[in-house]
Parts: sequence; structure tokens; C-alpha cells
Amino acid sequence: MILASLLLIPLAAAGLLALARGRKTMEMLHALASLGTLAAGAALAAQTSSGAPLAAGDLFRADSLSALMVVIVTFLGALAALYAIGYLRAEPDAARPATVRLFFALFHLFIFTMLVAVTTDNLGVMWVAVEGTTLATVFLVNLRRTRASLEAAYKYLILSSVGIALAFIGTSLLYYAGAKAGELAVQWSALHAAAGSLNPEVARLAFVFILVGYGTKAGLAPMHTWLPDAHSEAPAPISALMSGVLLNVGLYAMLRCKIIVDGAAGPEFTNRLLVGMGLLSLLVAAAFLVRQRNYKRMLAYSSVEHMGIVCLGLGFGGYGALFGALFHLVNHALSKSLLFILSGNILLQYHSAEIADVRGLLRAAPWTGALFLAGIVALIGLPPFAPFMSEFLIFRAGLERYPWAAAAALALLVVVFAGMLASVNRMLYGAPPAAIAPGDRLRMWLAPLAANFALLLVLGVSLPAPFEDALRRVLQILGA
Amino acid sequence: MSAEVVSRLVNLLSFAALGLTVLLIVRIRLEGQVRAFAWQSLILAALSMLIAVYSGSLELFGVGIALFAVKVVLIPRVLDRAVAKIGLSRVAAPYLATAPALLICALLVTVSFYVMAPVAESNPLPTADALPLAFAGVLVGFFIMVNRRRAVTQILGFLMLENGIFQLALLATYGVPFLVEMGVFLDVLVAVLIMEVFIYHIKDNFDSIDVGELGKLKE
Repeated sequence: MILASLLLIPLAAAGLLALARGRKTMEMLHALASLGTLAAGAALAAQTSSGAPLAAGDLFRADSLSALMVVIVTFLGALAALYAIGYLRAEPDAARPATVRLFFALFHLFIFTMLVAVTTDNLGVMWVAVEGTTLATVFLVNLRRTRASLEAAYKYLILSSVGIALAFIGTSLLYYAGAKAGELAVQWSALHAAAGSLNPEVARLAFVFILVGYGTKAGLAPMHTWLPDAHSEAPAPISALMSGVLLNVGLYAMLRCKIIVDGAAGPEFTNRLLVGMGLLSLLVAAAFLVRQRNYKRMLAYSSVEHMGIVCLGLGFGGYGALFGALFHLVNHALSKSLLFILSGNILLQYHSAEIADVRGLLRAAPWTGALFLAGIVALIGLPPFAPFMSEFLIFRAGLERYPWAAAAALALLVVVFAGMLASVNRMLYGAPPAAIAPGDRLRMWLAPLAANFALLLVLGVSLPAPFEDALRRVLQILGA
Repeated sequence: MSAEVVSRLVNLLSFAALGLTVLLIVRIRLEGQVRAFAWQSLILAALSMLIAVYSGSLELFGVGIALFAVKVVLIPRVLDRAVAKIGLSRVAAPYLATAPALLICALLVTVSFYVMAPVAESNPLPTADALPLAFAGVLVGFFIMVNRRRAVTQILGFLMLENGIFQLALLATYGVPFLVEMGVFLDVLVAVLIMEVFIYHIKDNFDSIDVGELGKLKE
């Protein structure tokens, strides 16, 4: 029942919005649907908090890992949805009613595909849904219809489709391994139960394809090349969801398969691949963050970096690092969605995504500037914010198990730290250009971001028991 | 039908399918490339039917029909329409000339026999011998996407890569479950329709469908 409403609300909203007339009606419907999805997501989280999975037929099954993702998708989805209303009113490129309709309808289709991906038990359906996220977002990336956004959207479509096609080979191979073990199913739960009897060689081969395929969606280097283009060209609320949420869905799909492969072939193989991939992502991100000239691209490359850190945590393995990885995934989602939404505000005010064009942000827009600074401080891993804690957990475990990789990663983090801080400093201080009208844009629409800020702060100074329990239940599924 | 006969037929059809992928490199005109894809899809539909008859699977029969409808009829029609609308640039412009490109294909086929060896050897099905051929189709399709600059050829490369993956699953396990297969067809169809829209957008914005023109977004 809860599962059904969780999936049906965004799907119905997408259909209704595609037919809706009148901006007021569309905005109303959009807001109601987002809040409804959020309520259904919260109800699902409450239902699974006992640890028992919630199932609907063979097709859908939500355990604690699904619930964690559902909460991230619905919470940040609602946040971005509310801001999107104000943003679209202020964005000159979205003046046409057809554009607004397309945006709202695809927004909910996007949420729907992500929710299907994280609540289905069928690895094939999960694949279809993850490919669906690409198809739902490609027109959103090209919403502004400029040459740059067209190029970004085309690249995104082609690279993601090819990447994910490789994940399908991996999925087929897992299915094949299951069929050989007498378990003819693409059900995750069935394959998970039979993992011990799968052919380890086939499982390893499957994981290589899965990692490259879903890794493309998760923005891991070297398959990340579409990410900075797509995330920087998309309208701010969509950038917030693509960076803060969609990357996690890619990671989630990979993680589901990793659990099965680890059961068949032991965690050593997948962990090494993840550490390598994580390190490479950090390296690439650091190289492009040192002298980044565009603040939206800066945030996008920082997503590559943080996905790399989560991968390192998953690859280091063991209770501490895995806990840190999940914690970090949440923290990155919170801070990156906050920052991308604020980047929309900056863009509306300065009409440029170049760092060089943005001066005196703190004076021109005190709220936007202060929140942006807080978000960056959180993102680069400074206390008292939560990412500091999660990175600490990951690297404490990493220095024990993979000392060289962890040390190299820490050195790269210092580079990222210096690069981002220097870029942001140039934006915050000084006198704003005379042509810029002072005052925060969309101040009322920024209010929900207080939730991100508060959560980043609270999780940074204390670990509330319900949150810790929730992560602990997910760790049981990961076998730690 | 004995397993021996099925195995030979499967090998023959798989070989023909791979041949059509390679033909995409030799063919210069875009219409000819779309035909090559349609023929390859027809061969795969025949392959599904053959295996459906051999294994007595009704689901696989349905998959074959859906494949025929989507990839032999619908998608080629969409692509033909796109090629006709673009008008001017019907010649596919590769980065690498035909001869070195064919050499790379040969290399990719060799690699594929090496990579797929553990799966092919451990597989008792009579279709397993052709697994490396299917995977070679995936690799060559990928190479075509990288090598060709025309958006239409890039899309055809993607479709052939996708065909290769379908074939891989078909040969390894007689296909994935029906529901998943249908979902995949739907995704591919929607993807092609979106790509068609993008071809027109690119044509309008850059006055060519040369994806090499797309180079604005750099650091």
C-alpha cells in the first residue's frame, strides 16, 4: 500500500502535469505531489524501521537500504521541487508555459524512475529504471536550449546510455550465474540467498561490467566526462537532484550487485576495484578543481570527488569504513543539493556562471552568500559539519587497511580543499559589480534549505540514535 | 531439432549479425547503414524464434515478435525519416579510414574471444559457442560510436551495441525474463526517439550533424 502510493503519486503527477493548463494549477499540483511523495517516503521509512523488508509481489521489495535511498530521494526531491517553483518564475528561459509544463512533468517522472530503481527487487527492472532516469532528465538538461546545453544533453544521453548498456551485460551475467546455480531469477533477494553457490569467475566478470556501467551513472572517473557538462547546464533544482540524489542511485545499483558478487567471490576483488576507482575519481576531481573558472562546474567536479570518497569507504570495508561511507553519502547529498540550489540564486543575480564575474556575494546577497559559504565549508570537510565526521571514519579505517591509498587520498583532499576555498573566496568578498541589483533573490524559497543546514550541523556534532540505528540496519544488509 | 543443428544455425546467424556490424564501417551512405541495422535486427529476431522453438519457450517467441516490431520496423523507420529530413550530409565521416578501422575490428574480435572464454566454456547450452561473436558485436558497436562523427552513425553504433547485448543474454541464458526484455525495448525505443529530436536540434543549431562540432564545453 505504502509502496504503491510512493510510486503512483509521482507517476500520476507526471501524467496530470503533462495535461495541465495554467501556471497556478501546475505549480499547485507540482507542490502537492512533491509533498505527497515525501509523506509516502517517510511512511515507508517508518514501516521498515523494524528491519523487516516491505514487499509487494515479486517485483517490489524495500529493505533498510532501499528506505535510506527513498528518504534521500523524497526529501531532497521535495526541497528541490519547492525551490523550482520560485526559480522557474524568475528564470527568463522558462517564460513559455510549454517549458514550465515540460519541466514539472519530467521532474516527477524523474523522481518516479529513481524511486522504482531503489524499491524494485528485480535487477532487470532496476536497470530499466536507471536508464529511465537518463531519459527523463535529458530534456531537463537541455531546458535552456542553448548550444552549450544541447551539447551537454547529447553527451549525457549517449555516454550514459552506453555506460548503462554495459551494466546490462553485468546483470545478464549475474542472471546466468544464478541460472547455473539452479536459481533462475533476476530477483535480488533470490540471488542474494543463493550467492554462495554462484560461479565466482562469472560473478567477478559481471561485477567489472556493473562497475563500469553503473559507475558511469555514479560519475566515477574515468567515465565521469558527461557529468560536469550536464550538471552545470541543467537548471539549478535539477542540478541539485542530479548531483545530490541521482549519483547515489547509480552507486546504489552498483552496491546491490556488489553484495551478491561478494557472496560468490569474496569481498577482496570488488573492494580493490572500488578503492582504485575511488582514488582515480579523487585524482581527476582534484586536477580540475585547482583552477576551476565556473562555479557550477566546480560543484560538479566536487561531486566526482565525493563519489570517489564514498567508493573508497565502501572499498576499505569493515564496519567503520562502511558506516562512514553511508554517512558520507547522506552528507554529500545534503550539502551538494544545498549548494546547487544556491548556485541557481547566484546565477539569477549575476547572470553568469563564471567565478570571475561573481564578486562581493556576501554583500550583494547576505543570506545566499552566508549559506553558500557554510555549504562549502561543510563540503570540504571542516568541522563542525557532518562530512568531517564521515570522512574521519572512512580514513581512520582506510589508514589501517590500505595505508598507501588512504594517504594518497588524504593528500588529494588537501589539494581539493585549497582549490575550492580559493575559488569561493574570490566570489564572496570585495565589492559587487555596479550592474548587479543588491538583495537576495527568491529569499522565501530558500527557507527550506534551513533543514539541510540544520541537519549538516546536528549530524556533525552528535549522532542521533534513530539515524545511527538506521545506518546500522543498512550495514547488516551489506554484511558488516 | 538436435542440439548439433541448433548450435550450427546459431553460429551461422551470429556470424552474420557480427558481419552486419562490421558492414557499418564499410558502408558510407547513411541509408545503407540504417538497412544494415534493420537486417541485423531481423537476424536476431530469427535467432530468438529459433531458440524459442528449440527450447519450447513461449516467452521467447513473444520477445522475438516484439524485437521485430521495435527494431526491424519502428526504429529503422524513425531513422530513415531523420536521414531524409537532414537531407544534405548523407555521407558518414569517420575519424579513422576504413582499412585501419577494420584492423581494429579484428583486434576487438580477438579480445572478445579471450574475455568471454570463461563464460563460453562453463556454459552447457548449445548456443554458448557463439557468445564471443555476440560480445565482439558489442565491442565493434562501441568502436563505431567513437570513430564516427555523424550523429546518426553514432546512434546506429549504439543500437548495434545494444543488439549485441541482447544477443549475449539470448545465447547465455535464452534471454532474461520477458518483463525485463520488454522494459529494455521500451527504453531503447524512447532513447532513439529522444536522439532523433537531438539530431534535429543539432542540425538547427550547428547547421550540420557532425558531433565533432560539439566542442564548446571545455575547461
